Amino acid sequence: MRAMASLDAGTLEVVGVTRRFGTVTAVAGVDLTVRRGEMLTLLGPSGSGKTTLLKIVAGFETPDEGAVRIDGRDITMAPPAKRDIGMVFQNYALFPHMTVAENVAFPLAMRRVPREERERRVREALKLVDLPTHGDRLPRQLSGGQQQRVALARAIVFDPQLLLLDEPFGALDRQLREQMQLEVRRLQQRLELTALFVTHDQEEALVMSDRIAVMEQGRIAQLGSPEEIYRSPASRFVAGFIGESNLYRARPIGDGVVELEGGLRIPLPPRLIGSGHGDLGLMLRPERVRSLGPGDTADIAFDGAIEEVVYLGETIKYRIKSDDGQISVLARWPLHEVGRILSPGHRVRVGWRSADMHSFPWS
Amino acid sequence: MSTPTTIPIERPTSLPGGRLWRRHRDALSSLAVAGPALLFLLVFYLIPVVMLLAQSVEGEALVHYRKALTDGLYVRVLLDTLLIAAWVSLLCLVLAYPVAYTLSILPPTWSAVGIAFILLPFWTSVLVRTYGWMVLLGRNGLINRMLTDLGWIDAPLPLLNNMIGVLIGMTHVLLPYMVFPLYAVMRRIDPNLLAAARGLGASGWHVFLRVYLPLTLPGVLAGTTLVFVLAIGFFITPALLGGGKVHMMAVLIEQQVRMFLNWGFAAALSAVLLGATLLTYVGLRRLLRGNMQWS
Repeated sequence: MRAMASLDAGTLEVVGVTRRFGTVTAVAGVDLTVRRGEMLTLLGPSGSGKTTLLKIVAGFETPDEGAVRIDGRDITMAPPAKRDIGMVFQNYALFPHMTVAENVAFPLAMRRVPREERERRVREALKLVDLPTHGDRLPRQLSGGQQQRVALARAIVFDPQLLLLDEPFGALDRQLREQMQLEVRRLQQRLELTALFVTHDQEEALVMSDRIAVMEQGRIAQLGSPEEIYRSPASRFVAGFIGESNLYRARPIGDGVVELEGGLRIPLPPRLIGSGHGDLGLMLRPERVRSLGPGDTADIAFDGAIEEVVYLGETIKYRIKSDDGQISVLARWPLHEVGRILSPGHRVRVGWRSADMHSFPWS
Repeated sequence: MSTPTTIPIERPTSLPGGRLWRRHRDALSSLAVAGPALLFLLVFYLIPVVMLLAQSVEGEALVHYRKALTDGLYVRVLLDTLLIAAWVSLLCLVLAYPVAYTLSILPPTWSAVGIAFILLPFWTSVLVRTYGWMVLLGRNGLINRMLTDLGWIDAPLPLLNNMIGVLIGMTHVLLPYMVFPLYAVMRRIDPNLLAAARGLGASGWHVFLRVYLPLTLPGVLAGTTLVFVLAIGFFITPALLGGGKVHMMAVLIEQQVRMFLNWGFAAALSAVLLGATLLTYVGLRRLLRGNMQWS
């Protein structure tokens, strides 16, 4: 892994970084490479170490072990000001006593960029974030979304080698958040910025990232493209964290058959059973569960009744329990699939292809 | 799906009189709440001030003012008073700024302890504290004795009955008035702003100069104004620690009344002092407001 990383010459390399707070290990030996022009997301619940790792990269925390390198330069002990990293903070951290233009000019002024060039670059940066005429305003005169853009302009105006984004959309309402996610992503791709993004919002991670590092208790539980993470989670934790899913514990009992926790036995393709040592975790996305009509068949099928209905607009979520009580499954169906909203107690036959399941070691 | 429509809720229309009443009701009720305090200020502050001002122009109008504003002695004392107040404000600011900063970053328990250390002397009578300084600063006081015993000085330093003593005493008494406004402002500064400044390339010095100091200016203004205004009218401390050699307006005014029973002139001096206080207050606000439009 380490040899790979140095060959790859990523813009940011985190090598064996560990950070402890008393008896708690916030970051436990993390190796990570962010490639040039890539947006990599650290995704995890609070306490997973993602923010600590970000702070170590930014220079606000010092690791107990390991190194941080940018373009091969070791910056583990460098103060934040010497790192050439642009950062967008959770609450924007715009200087309230400076105008928008002064805020954006701040990193340039600190780098002693001559006045004329400074003004030109501030103008360009504000144009990039679509606020060309707001230079004279004060931050408090701007909306949340506009403040967010100013913070972004300030973070990229000095062409940093790396852009850090620390849950930057948390304070925005849903609609604005989705709009800003796309905007930031577009800008990052257009300018080919190398970026490390921290969030606890899995949807946001799927939208924004080239790759996602799912963090669990200070370690990277899985690193991969959004699709890999969504389709083939490597562990129960990742499967549970990304999207909604049915998770079952299964024990292989030979002949390509596994027994689920409730006692239900189902056949599985060898690909999913693997070497067959120990219990498996089986994941099934709710949208893969089908409603079966008379004469329809499926690899796995059972009769049951609807227990719970959650109305989501165009799709509806049903919890369905089998008549023998052995299994309960969450299904998500578009309204048109069954034509109407079914109510609790309604009898259904459901099934799915065994290939639509995904497996990982249970432990 | 139908889009939800909002039906504007019409407020029941009322008579113009009723509306007028409603619009002023809030103002009236807050006036009622503030009433007792306003009455108190009116009776015990505003009326005496007006009476004082009336006294100052009694008899031959403005003769007292002419004397107060042209006689070299009184003009010099007025300027001295302003100068002393300015020095005390500056000393308080320089001393209080790091103290307030430390308090603002300490964990809550320790900052509470620190605040108690500032509050305890603050709650003690000014007279007691001033006498305390006399014990410390005198020719045979604690400080001179210690320095002599240590062999650092041959003769006692003149610390009492002069400007040094007055500055020390006044700074001590007025320091909390500077610490608390600064502390209040500093505690509300988002640490992320300082982190952001560092991350964007600012050195420690630049973080302070470009971000921290400007953000604390409201506290600097509030504290400086308080200390300056209080210092201008200070009486006990300069009277006791100045040993009759340091002349401040309040001491002079008291002399006019006590020794010469010249109420009219004392009133005129008071009015001049009041005017100077108001002027400096407005001036300070102007000076610092220019840098604080954001707040």
